[in-house]
Amino acid sequence: MSRKPPRGEYIETDTGNKVARKATLVGTQNIMLGGKTVIQQEVMIRGDLIRSLPSSSSSGGGPPSNTAVAIGRYCFLSRGCCLKPPGRLYKGVFTYMPLRMGDHVFVGQNTVVQAAQIGSHVNIGAQVVVGEFAIIKDFVRILDGSVVPANMVIPSFSIVAGQPAKVIGEVPEGGHDAFELRDLYKSVGNNPQPAPS
Amino acid sequence: MSPITPYTYFQCPCSDSALFRPGDGSPSSPKNRDFGDEDGAFDPRAPRANYSLYPLEYLLYCEDCHQIRCPRCIAEEIATFYCPSCLFEVPSSNIKSEGNRCTRSCFQCPVCIAPLSVTSFETQPDPNLLGAQDHSAAHHGGPYVLNCSYCNWSSTETGVKFDKSNGIHGQLAKQRNGGTTRLTAKERKERRKELVQSGGSAQGSDHIADEHGIDMETQFANLKHFYQTQLSSSTSGGSGFSGLGELGFSSPTSLSRIMSIYTGGGSLHDKKSKSRLGNMREALEEDEGLIVANLDESAAIEKLRSEGLEGTIDTEQLQNQPPNLGEPHLHGRTRFTSELRPIPYLLRTKRSKRCPVCRHIISKPEAKIQTTRFRIRLIAGNYVPSITIRPLVLPGSSGFIQHPDALLQPLRPIQYMLTFKNPIFETVKISLATPSRTPGRFASKVTVLCPQFEIDANTDVWDEALKDDNRRKRKGEESGNPHQQPEVGKIWERGRNWVSVIVEVVPASLRVDLLEAAPDEEGDEEGEASEKPKVKREVDRGPLREDEDLLEIPMFVRVEWEVDAVGEELGSSRDKEAKEKRELAYWCVLGLGRVAQGN
Repeated sequence: MSRKPPRGEYIETDTGNKVARKATLVGTQNIMLGGKTVIQQEVMIRGDLIRSLPSSSSSGGGPPSNTAVAIGRYCFLSRGCCLKPPGRLYKGVFTYMPLRMGDHVFVGQNTVVQAAQIGSHVNIGAQVVVGEFAIIKDFVRILDGSVVPANMVIPSFSIVAGQPAKVIGEVPEGGHDAFELRDLYKSVGNNPQPAPS
Repeated sequence: MSPITPYTYFQCPCSDSALFRPGDGSPSSPKNRDFGDEDGAFDPRAPRANYSLYPLEYLLYCEDCHQIRCPRCIAEEIATFYCPSCLFEVPSSNIKSEGNRCTRSCFQCPVCIAPLSVTSFETQPDPNLLGAQDHSAAHHGGPYVLNCSYCNWSSTETGVKFDKSNGIHGQLAKQRNGGTTRLTAKERKERRKELVQSGGSAQGSDHIADEHGIDMETQFANLKHFYQTQLSSSTSGGSGFSGLGELGFSSPTSLSRIMSIYTGGGSLHDKKSKSRLGNMREALEEDEGLIVANLDESAAIEKLRSEGLEGTIDTEQLQNQPPNLGEPHLHGRTRFTSELRPIPYLLRTKRSKRCPVCRHIISKPEAKIQTTRFRIRLIAGNYVPSITIRPLVLPGSSGFIQHPDALLQPLRPIQYMLTFKNPIFETVKISLATPSRTPGRFASKVTVLCPQFEIDANTDVWDEALKDDNRRKRKGEESGNPHQQPEVGKIWERGRNWVSVIVEVVPASLRVDLLEAAPDEEGDEEGEASEKPKVKREVDRGPLREDEDLLEIPMFVRVEWEVDAVGEELGSSRDKEAKEKRELAYWCVLGLGRVAQGN
């Protein structure tokens, strides 16, 4: 659904998502995009890895959906990154669990994300590996090259780095605005606007 | 030597006594502070400067003092303690009784500090099989172990297993490495009580100390018990050093005072003991808390021989280890990986911040852990104009285009565009001042082309959207033709609430052999007693030191604006229309990049 007759680099949807034509989205029916999300070239989202167990009563009162990857608004997936739902044995059966991502999440180049949950206003750098079932809360910055171990919980306002990643600092009070991705969203697409100075 | 992107640091007034000197703080013309007054210029290379410069995001602003506050000078108050892993709040009363670590089942790997998960020992093959809170753990049953999914460390390596999958902290406290059980303090007290009731306490404590030797907690308990019995049984017999009696090392009074400090209670300290003088004997046996240092290290050497250096703990791992009261005293002991214990997570806090001067709260988070909102958050970015630096690329300019990350070429003038953005809702007047030469051995020349200008108020965001076209036009008017050249005394570009000015820099040559020229020139420029500086200054021809190639410009910024007189305390006598003048002045440092070496 490109708006312009000439094929642009991106497909722009009605809700404002900008998806590069060269991105690989597997199982698109299981990928939820909140809108205004940018997906760059060579990004891979594994929507085919859905929960293989019927979501029973034990999994809470959530709606019985087949969502594998849920992404909020104003997320930015840089070139070459990969979102893959985490999987594990559950009652003797291997199953994948959904990957949920909040708003204003930046994922750097060539980063692999297998987290269970990522909050809002999260900045994940380039060449990062986020291990399976990691939980990342709001306002977290993960520096380039970090390896977040599986099952790790990163509390809000943490700056995380290292292999394995550990909390190395705190996001200062004045640094919250830096997580906003609205301007970045405008700067890409088929007719990008220059970033305001 | 990697190139850097331009940055701006702001100086907090808390550390700079020079700024508060008489004359300096007064709104003198920027020319005065320029270079004539050398001491007044801020030197970003001074060792002290490291502690007062911050990026704008780190700074807060006190609305009552009208001053910038930095993380170093604010006073912090802890609002909430919580575990960073399970995100449960820990009441502050628990901190006092149980320490500053999570007492649930949150542990870090002692080898690599990744989080540990509880897994059933029977079905161990898959390390990320089960989480601690998982129901299915109940299905498998059997002993549980802590497992690191990052480095595959397992608590079985130190012989620790658990019967239940929850309450790991409590279970771990009762276990030594190797799986043998250990008495907790409470149990030991009970057992001692029983033994005292049944017979002599001396035989009793023989049983308390088990075959592993006395651990620290037991030793402390033994010592405490010994001194308490000494205190209660000591009579006013031996006078000995009556002069020192009250303060002597082993006098009952000082002993009971020390014990009340370290054991908290001071319960045994009866009032009568104050009058008692004299000495008591010290502990002589293990049951009484005396432990003779074991200087025989042959066992450790033997173990080192068999396990090698890989079997020992490195310092980082040792530092991460929680204090473990359940192990013997460290006399002559070597640390081996078999002695590592899982690390319970250190708790984290949410803190509110106060101004150090007026004690007003300037930052206060919501107490709940899950929320990220703030009740009060006075960040400096909402009061102080931000400064962004960008190399100026003229559209018509020929030749090379300066890559933003490239090294600066010495002696080649470069122009930078400084963009000031006004965050407040008033028009502000800004005066800039820089020393014409940067401080340090290699002095670069700096010229701000337009040191005084006004920035329009930060109006509503909607206005911006509506006036967008307007702004464009305005920009065009100011800049005239696209081939505009930077001019002295003129603003480069102007927007709704921002203004760009040009600063021209001539980076210094980093050649040590050319250093002589600089002080000479300076003497000529100043024109006053040109002999003096020459004599004073020995040319330092040492090799290039760390960060001397870094081009940092100290810049003094003075912001003036007018606000409507609020008139509660100050302006009651004044007219309603009277405007109150506000002023904020501070140093910042513009880091432009590194200067190329070798030419």
